[in-house]
Amino acid sequence: MSDDARDYEELGLVAGLEIHQQLDTETKLFCESPTELREPEEATHTITRELHPTRSELGELDEAAMEESRVDRTFEYLAYDTTCLVEEDDEPPARIDEEALEVAMSIADLLDADVVDQAHVMRKLVIDGSNTSGFQRSMLLAQNGEIETSEGSVGIVDVMLEEESAQRVEETEEGVRYSLDRLGIPLVEIGTAPDISTPEQAYEAAEHIGMLLRSTGSVKRGLGTIRQDVNVSIAEGARVEIKGVQALGDIRDIVANEVDRQVELLEIRDELDARGAAVGEVSDVSEAFADTDSGVIRGALDSGGKVTAVPLYGFDGLVGREIQPDRRLGTELSDHAKRAGAGGIFHTDELPAYGVTEDEVESLREAVDAGEDDAVAIVAAGADVADQAIEAAADRARSAIEGVPEETRGANDDGTTRYLRPLPGAARMYPETDVPPVEPDPSEVETPELLTERVERYADELGLDEGLAEQVAFGRRMVLFEEAVEAGVDPTFAASTLESTLTELSREGVDVASIREDALLNTLLLVEDGDLPKEGVNPVLTALAEDPDLTPEDAMEEAGVGGVGEDEVREAVQEVVERNAEQVEEEGMGAFSGLMGECMGALRGQAGGDLVSEVLREEIQKRA
Amino acid sequence: MNPGDRVRVDHDGATDEGVLMPTTDEAHLVLKLDGGYNVGIAREGADVELLESDVYDVEEGEAGGGEDSEIEFDEDLPTVALVSTGGTIASTVDYRTGAVTARFDAEDVLRAVPELAGRANYRGRVVADILSENMEPSIWQELARAVEEEIEAGADGVVVMHGTDTMQYSAAALSYMLDTPVPIVFTGSQRSADRPSSDNVMNAVCAVEAATADAAEVMVCMHATPSDDDCALHRGTRVRKNHTSRRDAFETVGGEPLGSVDYEAAKDGQGDAAGVSFDSEYTARGEAELAINPDLATDVELVKPTPGMDPAAWDYLDGKDGVIVEGTGLGHVHTDLIPRLEELVEDGTTVAMTSQCIEGRVCDRVYDTGRDLLDAGVVEAGDTLPGTAKVKLMWALENARNPADAMGRDLAGELTEESQPWT
Repeated sequence: MSDDARDYEELGLVAGLEIHQQLDTETKLFCESPTELREPEEATHTITRELHPTRSELGELDEAAMEESRVDRTFEYLAYDTTCLVEEDDEPPARIDEEALEVAMSIADLLDADVVDQAHVMRKLVIDGSNTSGFQRSMLLAQNGEIETSEGSVGIVDVMLEEESAQRVEETEEGVRYSLDRLGIPLVEIGTAPDISTPEQAYEAAEHIGMLLRSTGSVKRGLGTIRQDVNVSIAEGARVEIKGVQALGDIRDIVANEVDRQVELLEIRDELDARGAAVGEVSDVSEAFADTDSGVIRGALDSGGKVTAVPLYGFDGLVGREIQPDRRLGTELSDHAKRAGAGGIFHTDELPAYGVTEDEVESLREAVDAGEDDAVAIVAAGADVADQAIEAAADRARSAIEGVPEETRGANDDGTTRYLRPLPGAARMYPETDVPPVEPDPSEVETPELLTERVERYADELGLDEGLAEQVAFGRRMVLFEEAVEAGVDPTFAASTLESTLTELSREGVDVASIREDALLNTLLLVEDGDLPKEGVNPVLTALAEDPDLTPEDAMEEAGVGGVGEDEVREAVQEVVERNAEQVEEEGMGAFSGLMGECMGALRGQAGGDLVSEVLREEIQKRA
Repeated sequence: MNPGDRVRVDHDGATDEGVLMPTTDEAHLVLKLDGGYNVGIAREGADVELLESDVYDVEEGEAGGGEDSEIEFDEDLPTVALVSTGGTIASTVDYRTGAVTARFDAEDVLRAVPELAGRANYRGRVVADILSENMEPSIWQELARAVEEEIEAGADGVVVMHGTDTMQYSAAALSYMLDTPVPIVFTGSQRSADRPSSDNVMNAVCAVEAATADAAEVMVCMHATPSDDDCALHRGTRVRKNHTSRRDAFETVGGEPLGSVDYEAAKDGQGDAAGVSFDSEYTARGEAELAINPDLATDVELVKPTPGMDPAAWDYLDGKDGVIVEGTGLGHVHTDLIPRLEELVEDGTTVAMTSQCIEGRVCDRVYDTGRDLLDAGVVEAGDTLPGTAKVKLMWALENARNPADAMGRDLAGELTEESQPWT
């Protein structure tokens, strides 16, 4: 089944996007800590915590949170010399960061959304440990916006300003280790209406929103700083929320693959319906595997565990049916079993295999009274896990008879998705009593210039050529470029240095990312003021990349460039002219180009060509 | 239109639907949208239409969430009385102020902390439902009587759920009022129970295990570190809240805690003192005979002289039964204030000296000011904490033959005879 084969309109594809973008503010949303990321090795101390689900304001318990809490886990947090008690959940939050609020309002403005009269900070229950508090602070800031795409307009339902979660470092024996550097960085969440009707439109909408976000000049750039979630459903299917699409380019595949999955699941449903399929009772089938040589099962039995099974009447052949590239209905059952702590499931569509013999499959079928039209799924694990995991798999099989289950899925790198958890509901919201509501005033916010408008202005007003204008405007150093031009640096020189030169150096293996922004700006100013010849820019930047703590002046010394004043230049030029006195007297200015090369050589790039040629001209004139 | 109603609001050309939430904000109405977010909409210019009445019982929402837990008696388990005075261990949002308030009874605590189940047979009891900053000495007396009745009725240990602001005062009060044959363990939470990260679960679990242990002391059981790893058991008269917000705010001043509870071990406990260990001497279970002496003199003040203080601030001390001075350094006041204290003593007020240093013992024999204070009739309270000294004097004035003398002696572990370096 290929993508072009799908008629998305006929299938009733409805998709929406949720875009999360980190803001590049000075401090975090609810404390004064910086928003810079740290290396786990830099941690100064750790704290360990547990989380317990709590009720919402309306007294409800959230299903996703309950499922999370069934697993007893301890979370470890890495804290740094920049971590404060708010991040450690040992102090109430400060007031909302003004800078973040302003950036979020300008984003709302670009999305044509209306800022609310009064924003209430809510606690969104999340107990997977990614927030030390057990909730993410989030506020609804604006509603009812709209963007245009070539396939029609897409509504913006809401714009939220919220806290970024802690970075997951690794799984530990007891639970998960997180790093507190990312926790609390301001994050804007943009939710579109389900107005998207093709994978291509999903991509276009996401790309456009990304452009709007970057137009503010105040969003973080780089891997993980923007994340896309996609909501997908088709007619008769169900709303599935796909989390964590990291690369924009993956969106088309993710949407198309999810449509395929739902189409396949609906076909499986129809088939199961026709066969009168049913899910039987869960039972202990350890006996059927008493003498097994299957490594997984043997291991479980030998360490006091058991094998549990559920008969899937009428499922034969369907559990092994592919519903996404290399993912089967059985994979879905397995995903659910994994959530309950098991390594996965085996099912009769794939057995005998994995060391399980034909005879064992026979005894298994007998044990659960499954005929040849039926399938059987089994879990081998510790006793408690085996019981819970097989129930989880059985539940998933039951929903296969109903059709497509609503759920939250995670994006895999290959464009497929895996089950994560039930859809979180409104039940996870609780007011954040530690932060009073704010009345945001959007009237003070200036509408940022769009990057697309910026490209035009750079070309028309600053005289950059189209390609360079686009590179700078969409590039990471757009704000720095504006600052440089403001400070009087020649626009074309600034743009080509910040884009072409840095790219060139980066290709040569220079770590340009480590050069500080103020050092870049000052280097440009040194050239503008004539203190550094353009020829010295590359060596200076290279020196700055090697030691980011240097000032550009120190770097000039380090690289042995510049620092040669007009007097030294004149001395060197006079020497050259003296040496070639005869030629100068004969040819006059005609000797210029020959001597120019000699002068530049004598100065070894330590002085700019403009200065050298000016002095040389003067010296020849004196002689002629 | 009432809170809990589902409504539609038209404003500024936009329309929102949701459940009306309670608020005291006159300028805005607060709507809970279907996604769960609350949003404030300016009342002016807003057109509100009722869609359905009483969709939610918002006032009762929180407490009414669960079924009553079926509590069965298990004769293999000890009996622990849970006595609640309110506070953040069992609190919920208050729509009047928007802040957190307390309104739970002991059974709600069991519902809020299911981890307590299976450790003991619980007897629940509510003495008060207040934030601990609103504590009154009369409630200490009610609390002492309630605890006495619970022990009389067969409790093997008592856990007192208390707000953290004034927990140390209540713990001190019970230390003086009660002779107890069983542990009396105060606990609470620094981070409110309405958050998944609340320290209430671990503190409560550790407190229940401590209540089934061997030390028949009045103790405070709270986090020992910022991590969910150990709880410290502090003597009720030596403990002080030393941080506004951290989980490990409570510390034993001038020494090591009485003991600790290892949470990992306590989690698997069954009311068998799991994870509890003691590092200091204590009165063992059953050693003391149950007795209660709840009388208190309420006319006692704790005052703190500071540079530039208006001496008139101490005019109101006229006629008080007792005054605790939280003096500077070794136990001093401005020389000009000494005659004032002398007057008070002559009028029959018991005046005792403690120190703002918190750590260490007062000694008024070293400098002239101190000697003048002693001559004025001020008594030294040794290394007794100022807050504890106030509670002690309230109690001593009614229960000790010579209150002034009692302030210089140890009655309930509040005062050490010699200063042993411990750090």
